[in-house]
Amino acid sequence: MSKHRNISPPRWPFRLLHYFLRPEYAEEIGGDLEERFQDDMERYYPAKARRLLIWEIIKLIRPALIRKVSGPARLNHFGMFKNDFKTIFRIIRKEKLYTGINVVGLTAGLSVALLILAYVHFEFSYETHNSNAKRVARITIDYLDGQTLIDQDCESYHLLGPIMKEEFPEVADYARAYRMWESVIKIDEKRFRASKVYAVDPSFLKIFDYPLINGDQSTALSGPLEAVLTESTALRFFGTLDVIGQTMWDSAIRNTLKVVGVIHDSPANTHFKFDMLTSYATMEPTVKKRESQWDSNDTFTYVLLNNGSQYKQFESSLERLTQKLTKEEKIKNERIIGQRIEDIHLYSHKSYEAEANGNATVVLFLFYVALLVIIIAIVNYINLATAKSLDRAKEVGIRKVVGSSKVQLKVRFFIESFFVNLVSGLLCVVLIYVLLNDFRQIAGLPADFTVFDNPLFWMVWGALILFSTLFAGSFPAFILSSFKPVAVLKGKFTHSSGGIMLRKSLVVFQFAIAIFLLIQTLTSTEQLQFMQEKDLGLDAERMIVVPAPVTAEEMKNFKPFTDQLLNTSAFSSVSLSTCIPGLPTSTMGSTTGINLIGATEEHNFNFFIYHIDHQFIPGMKIELAAGENYQETVHEDRVIVNEEAIRLWGIRDAKDALNKKIHLWGKERSITGVVKNFHQTGVKSGHIAMILMQSSGFGDYVSIRTAPGNIKEQLSEVRELYKANFDSPFDYFFLDQKFDSHFRSDQQFQTVFSVLSLFALLITCLGLFGLASFTVAKRRKEIGIRKVLGASVAQMIALLSTDFLRLISIAALVALPVTYLIVNNWLNTYAYRISITFWLFAGPAALVLIVAFITIFSRTLRASEMNPVSSLRDE
Amino acid sequence: MKKNRLGEFQELILMTVVILKEEAYGNEIERYLENCLNERLSMGAIQTALKRMEEKGFLTSEWGEVTQKRGGKRKRIYTATPYAHRVLRDMKDLRVRMWNAMPDLEMGTT
Repeated sequence: MSKHRNISPPRWPFRLLHYFLRPEYAEEIGGDLEERFQDDMERYYPAKARRLLIWEIIKLIRPALIRKVSGPARLNHFGMFKNDFKTIFRIIRKEKLYTGINVVGLTAGLSVALLILAYVHFEFSYETHNSNAKRVARITIDYLDGQTLIDQDCESYHLLGPIMKEEFPEVADYARAYRMWESVIKIDEKRFRASKVYAVDPSFLKIFDYPLINGDQSTALSGPLEAVLTESTALRFFGTLDVIGQTMWDSAIRNTLKVVGVIHDSPANTHFKFDMLTSYATMEPTVKKRESQWDSNDTFTYVLLNNGSQYKQFESSLERLTQKLTKEEKIKNERIIGQRIEDIHLYSHKSYEAEANGNATVVLFLFYVALLVIIIAIVNYINLATAKSLDRAKEVGIRKVVGSSKVQLKVRFFIESFFVNLVSGLLCVVLIYVLLNDFRQIAGLPADFTVFDNPLFWMVWGALILFSTLFAGSFPAFILSSFKPVAVLKGKFTHSSGGIMLRKSLVVFQFAIAIFLLIQTLTSTEQLQFMQEKDLGLDAERMIVVPAPVTAEEMKNFKPFTDQLLNTSAFSSVSLSTCIPGLPTSTMGSTTGINLIGATEEHNFNFFIYHIDHQFIPGMKIELAAGENYQETVHEDRVIVNEEAIRLWGIRDAKDALNKKIHLWGKERSITGVVKNFHQTGVKSGHIAMILMQSSGFGDYVSIRTAPGNIKEQLSEVRELYKANFDSPFDYFFLDQKFDSHFRSDQQFQTVFSVLSLFALLITCLGLFGLASFTVAKRRKEIGIRKVLGASVAQMIALLSTDFLRLISIAALVALPVTYLIVNNWLNTYAYRISITFWLFAGPAALVLIVAFITIFSRTLRASEMNPVSSLRDE
Repeated sequence: MKKNRLGEFQELILMTVVILKEEAYGNEIERYLENCLNERLSMGAIQTALKRMEEKGFLTSEWGEVTQKRGGKRKRIYTATPYAHRVLRDMKDLRVRMWNAMPDLEMGTT
């Protein structure tokens, strides 16, 4: 003990201690702490002793030991704060309009911003449930024509996964997922349709991080004819989750599957959703029977890297693999590339995607607009604060004379801003609670989407309130607190020119944004309407589509079924095809590098192919540009192509294409008909090159054209005939609704955007209303004098409104060119877009001007009609 | 009894104060208890308990000596009041009575 060196402890923790500790305890506890620090110095190394000291001091912050907030030992500024709160409440009570506008504006702004942020967060949360997400990549194929990219395909060769696992050191594992045909599942005598079914490697469950809730994880899906069901599928098929060992007959593979596991339903935020998985081993024999393993790239392949940071290395390995396979003539004009699964939902728009993906640009666009809306609300606060600065200047002057420092005044204005923001924040929680359900529907979010039990939501909520407090409070805090008390109290201070300029530019800014939002809303509405009304190149109205029965035995009844339908006057045509217009490219076959025989130039374009019968073209009302339709007898050597296909072959006139020959699937075939382009995949995308081959009595869809009449009765008639002829379960959809579903995302965007701009305009006008009120109040005497001297009501209104209307006109001038650029860019993302017209821009601008005028008018009219006596008598 | 009941931790501190007699100041109490309990205690917990018990009349305190280690600051020596002695004894009696009423622990567990 005697040898110990007295090292003095760090000072700053003690200063902190003195700040909060009750003064009467300072000596005792201070001494104890120093003694303890010295003891610790002997026991531990200095850094640890210091750390223990600081930690000890922090733990001293307890109610029993800190200063009381009142009484003789209270904090120095306590009285000041108390007074601040008192005056803030008084101001709020006195200035109901001012507070009301601020609170309503901020509440609306915060609610919109938070909802949109929640939506953006959801869109960016894809695959985050998967703990491997950073390490998983999907293998996709690019089709090339020389160096030009023709098409991108998500599906790849089934040999690629095994090759990569063997040859690439960075690849830990792979999983393939082979899309199965839609099938009918038979359990005892009950039949169910299973639509999203994939044959997957056993590693799929591991790579996608789907633990089995029932069944043996280590063996599941390793043998042939095994199936894993999702919870809801298990309940649909068996009515229970206890299904291990149950069997079911699958029409697609014509065999009996055994259930080996149950997993949770695919989460809403994954790009790869399914109802049922079967083992890859079930499919492998079929795949291996093919003449060449490199003929069809028809399986999804996912690889698991050892480490997410090896992605660059993986990409270069893929490049080398492409070169190697090209050299070995296994692939031609193709490039194998990888894609992180985290990027798939927002950035991938390739052929054969498993699900319709989102669009990062749209999501970010909404994000920025949501920020704009909250900024508009903050600007309102700043504007109203500057407008009121004259009133508050006297208060600031008096406070300064009494001895208030600048810092105290700043704190005071920030507290005021915080208070308004906090109230708005609480109201916004209520508003979100009310709106959440509608918002879910508008934005197309899953039904179990919530915001309140996500801690992140509350963090963003708090951050936004803080951000808005600092931003909105900054103007009054810094400008008002700098007023010179002498000037203010002498009455020399009549206006702050800086404040007026700021206010004017902020109004211009707000209205510019409002005009932009309105123009964008109008444009997206028009574009949507344009797409919905666009000629599809076929007639989708009154068309019932029924998935065809799945087994060949059932198909024997197809002819009688057709005849029975056509016997009634309700149906004018029945056709059978392997795909129908309105379905995505993933439902068709595709082949690259089909060229005319004898063509001078060979290209590697991608052609989409499906089979139709002779009823299909007249039934769909697709027009022929040249040649003729198929006959009832099947000629395998004839094909019908569309105009886009012959354009790729360099033929201008459809007639020239007739009787030209192509090589397709090992056969020489001649073109006997050219159909006009029709919108196969909806009008959002351009035309694709198509080859329509003739089917000999097989197909997946039955398209039934109905005559005018009661569609419900016609539908039940189809149902009865279907059930009379086939065993497969009956299902149906209307073709026009299928086409409409392509616009669902556009419709959602348009609705969300309309709501956003409505809110923005509302908040902006609220601010304008407040500003106009203050201006009118300030100019009461002037108005009185002018009226005494003979000014008319109309002249007064003009006088009071011109200033604002001038600002809004400037806003329009600023907004229009910028808006033009943005809107034009946005329209360019559509294959078929409307052209920008004068009214598309002038309309919203005029609308804003009119709404603004009405807003101001409501204030100015009352002021102008006022009896001058009432404003002039009190001086 | 209910109104002035001691918490378990407070009771331990009170007993330490009685044991340490003239040496009963903040750090010494802490050291003694840390030895008994075999864990590091926070000064905040000890001080809170001391201040609370002083408020309730279990303890009185007066200034003590200064040492060099303490940076020239005085100790605060705590003494238990007769009232505290009585409460401590009451609690002990209560425990003894209850322990007597307890069945044999070894037997009780089977």
